[in-house]
Amino acid sequence: MTETPTIPVASPRDPGQANARERLLSLWEAWTGRIFSLREDQFFLLLAVLIGIFSGLAVVCFRVAIEWTQLEVLGPSLSPSVLRVLLAPTIGGLVVAFLVLRIFPSSQGSGVNRTKAAVYVWNGYVPFETVIGKFVTCALAIGSGQSLGPEDPSLQMGAGIASKIGRSLNLSQEKIRLIAPVGAAAGLAAAFNAPISAVLFVIEEVIGVWSGGVLGAIVLAAVSSVVTMRSFLGADSLFRVPEFRVVRAEDLLGYAVLGLVGGGAAIAFLKWLAYARPRIEKLPYWTKYLQPAGAGLLIGVIGIRFPQVMGAGYSIIDQALHGQFTWKLLLVLAVLKIVATGISFLSGTPGGMFAPVLFIGAMFGGAIGAVEQHFIPTLSGSVGTFALVGMGTFFAGFLRIPITSVFMVIELSGNYTAILPVMISTMVAYFISRRFHKVPLFDMLARQDGLVLPSIEEQREQIAPVVEKAMQRDAALIFNASDPVVTILSRAEGKPELPLLLQSRREWRLLDRDRLKNLAEDKSRTYTAADADGKGPLPILFPDLTLEDALQVVGDWPVLPVVNRADLSKLEGVITLADILRTFRNAPAE
Amino acid sequence: MIGEPRRNTGSSRDARGFSREFVLVVCFFCLIALLGVTALVSRMYHKRVHSLADQWFSYGEADFRAGNTKKALIEYRNALAFSPANVMFQFHLALALAADGQLPEARAYLLPLLSESPGSGEINLALARIAAQQSRVQDAMLYYNSAIYGEWSDDPIEMRWNVRKELCEFLLDHGAASQAEPALVALDDNTPSGDVAKQKAAAQLLLRGQMWSRALDEFHSVLESERNDPDALEGAGTAAFQLHNYSQAVGYLSRLPKDRASDPGVPTMLETARQIQALDPFLPGLGMGEKARRTSHALDVATARAQQCGGTNGSTTSANTAAPHSELASLLATIQQNKRTWSERNLERDPDTVSQAMGLVFQIENAAAKTCGAPSGENLALWTIGQNLGNNLP
Repeated sequence: MTETPTIPVASPRDPGQANARERLLSLWEAWTGRIFSLREDQFFLLLAVLIGIFSGLAVVCFRVAIEWTQLEVLGPSLSPSVLRVLLAPTIGGLVVAFLVLRIFPSSQGSGVNRTKAAVYVWNGYVPFETVIGKFVTCALAIGSGQSLGPEDPSLQMGAGIASKIGRSLNLSQEKIRLIAPVGAAAGLAAAFNAPISAVLFVIEEVIGVWSGGVLGAIVLAAVSSVVTMRSFLGADSLFRVPEFRVVRAEDLLGYAVLGLVGGGAAIAFLKWLAYARPRIEKLPYWTKYLQPAGAGLLIGVIGIRFPQVMGAGYSIIDQALHGQFTWKLLLVLAVLKIVATGISFLSGTPGGMFAPVLFIGAMFGGAIGAVEQHFIPTLSGSVGTFALVGMGTFFAGFLRIPITSVFMVIELSGNYTAILPVMISTMVAYFISRRFHKVPLFDMLARQDGLVLPSIEEQREQIAPVVEKAMQRDAALIFNASDPVVTILSRAEGKPELPLLLQSRREWRLLDRDRLKNLAEDKSRTYTAADADGKGPLPILFPDLTLEDALQVVGDWPVLPVVNRADLSKLEGVITLADILRTFRNAPAE
Repeated sequence: MIGEPRRNTGSSRDARGFSREFVLVVCFFCLIALLGVTALVSRMYHKRVHSLADQWFSYGEADFRAGNTKKALIEYRNALAFSPANVMFQFHLALALAADGQLPEARAYLLPLLSESPGSGEINLALARIAAQQSRVQDAMLYYNSAIYGEWSDDPIEMRWNVRKELCEFLLDHGAASQAEPALVALDDNTPSGDVAKQKAAAQLLLRGQMWSRALDEFHSVLESERNDPDALEGAGTAAFQLHNYSQAVGYLSRLPKDRASDPGVPTMLETARQIQALDPFLPGLGMGEKARRTSHALDVATARAQQCGGTNGSTTSANTAAPHSELASLLATIQQNKRTWSERNLERDPDTVSQAMGLVFQIENAAAKTCGAPSGENLALWTIGQNLGNNLP
């Protein structure tokens, strides 16, 4: 008999393998233990990076999908054939309408408002089908030539991804509510390739507060999404921005004029949307199936002569920035883009307004710059620089987010020199827009949709009542620990309404009159305020704190001292719950 | 209208027992999968886009070379739409724009390119040509000089010489003689001695810049290689003529083939040079008899010119007929008064009178040229001799 060689096979119970498995398990447990032993705040930051990467990848796919659709539907030429120009947005509109109304109803509406609604109404819940719906419908709509942009859908997709991850990880309700803006910032940052602007936008428009906890997560998400996006699509900015120069102070007047015109144009656009949207919403439901197609047809008609107005229009903005259009063409494109974007938006076609708004701003800016240079040849700014500033100007006037607008231009241009013209122009446009159109765009849309979301602009401008306004000055008697009880009572006699405060080192205590009287009746020794065993130490307040802060600490204390920040032993006044409530009652209604 | 999202009891489903570890692992695998999909999709997209960009660019190149600039412009723009950061596409679009006369737009494309590559010879040259077309002389000079000292990818010596030549042509076309002079000197100094074509081109420019001596040297050098080159002969003849080297001028110009005679300037120049040779009494090596004969002949020619210009003959010249040309009449009168003194015999006997007589001849030729227009034939020869001598009569 020949001995057949046996191949040693490790059995499942092989002790060597069991050791390896145990080692792996212990490694896994150590890793997960380390991850999950993090505090919720730290874990939230880690999660923000994950959300950023997911959002970045989603936005890359989204942008590729839009451009690929455009390539297939409108063809590879900048001047497509008339048939394509007419049919692509029309048929695209029909398909988009069917998808939105039948399959992805959650992809309707403004992404910004839906994210705000998630924060303030739905406890951070953004359905994941919104992500898929926005991806598919917006790629088709924008790719087929509808005059809309990819930023708002990217923002909402980021919020949806974040919400899904947060819910899956069973985060606390508070964190789930905050996670949607984190995703929104990541989505917007990747779409714009501008992390600072995205962070500012989310803070300025969505959450409205500079909270340290959420700010860190938003920044991390925005940065990680931009890094992810750049590793696939390159680090180039959306636009090649020309060299920027401001030579003289007088040149700034030219930009102020741009602010006036930009603000006026923004009002016209806002008023049109405010007027037309409710009327279109009242049309019979079946017309919703045809509205995007109708809009597409109208845009196609415009596109026969001016194909520049179709789609997001980044390449056209780039050309305007390099002074490649005459002022007449710039003006025509600006007006036609307003018309095309308004039609697309009013028809309920999903897509964002950011890119079209930048387009309109750039065209107006370029036109104003060219006209100004015609009449004032010594003006130092080129048509391109006016187009650049125009983008921020119209953005500020239309969306009413001045800080984001200023920083967006700085971030896109990479040139700090632009800051003065941009600040002047955007502020002029912003104030004009506020003066003649009270309600900002996103608030207007939300109200038209029957949703009362907090207005960040109103919040921003609301002056919170402070302790100083409610406190009573000279409404307490102050004593030292060494003051004899008899003296205290004699001073307090006839002033029963005044609280008696004991100030000892940096502590404040409240003296009880009955207790003082008892001590005074005991003639065996001389008692001082220190023996009176006052209530306290009392929480202290400062005059500049808000009444909301005061409410949190007032608790059951009958009265609280308001002291000077520089000298805690110096009493500025006293405040009671009644004082706080009275001040709130008298405050002007929101 | 924004309605409440359909919740599918989402949170409760999520809370149905998946641990965070499990969800994170799922997230990790989803991330890997999404990374893979994104990489694949973006690679496919970039490949497609690059191929489209290259395709449009090649169409643009073909049309631009065929002179179909408008079509090339559209194709270059299409190429750039797919590859906006492509420097080569931007550069070629700028060249097409410039060729189509859209100079500001072309410049708008080139300036950012220049700020990225300030030492690029090609970009500087393109900007120089735009500035030249816009007649911005200082800008053009700046860009031309930057191009000359810039970087060139192919054959930098050849390219730099070409740019120098273009700069000289531009300056000469714009009448910027003082600025052209150093450029011409630099061109001449950088012209390789064995390259006949370049030597001829440089010499022609030197000729246009009236740098006769350098032009003559350059043409002479060409003629050493190609003895009968008509361009070089004509150029050398012209330069020699301008240098008052009439025998040399006659030597070169007379060797020109007959078909060159169609150029009216050449026969005139040759004839004038020959006549100067025959008429000039101040040529070195002439005997006193010959000097006197030439002077006497010059006086006859000048008298005839003055009479013809004044419309009179010698014997009947009077103040009345010469009234409109009083200077000519007075000069003619001087000749008549000195007719005996300036006889051929007296001129031979007294060499000083030759200068006086010729001085009067030159005055008459000048006055006649002013009054009756450019001289021709022997008058032109005498007038030229007078111009060359100026106030320095021997």
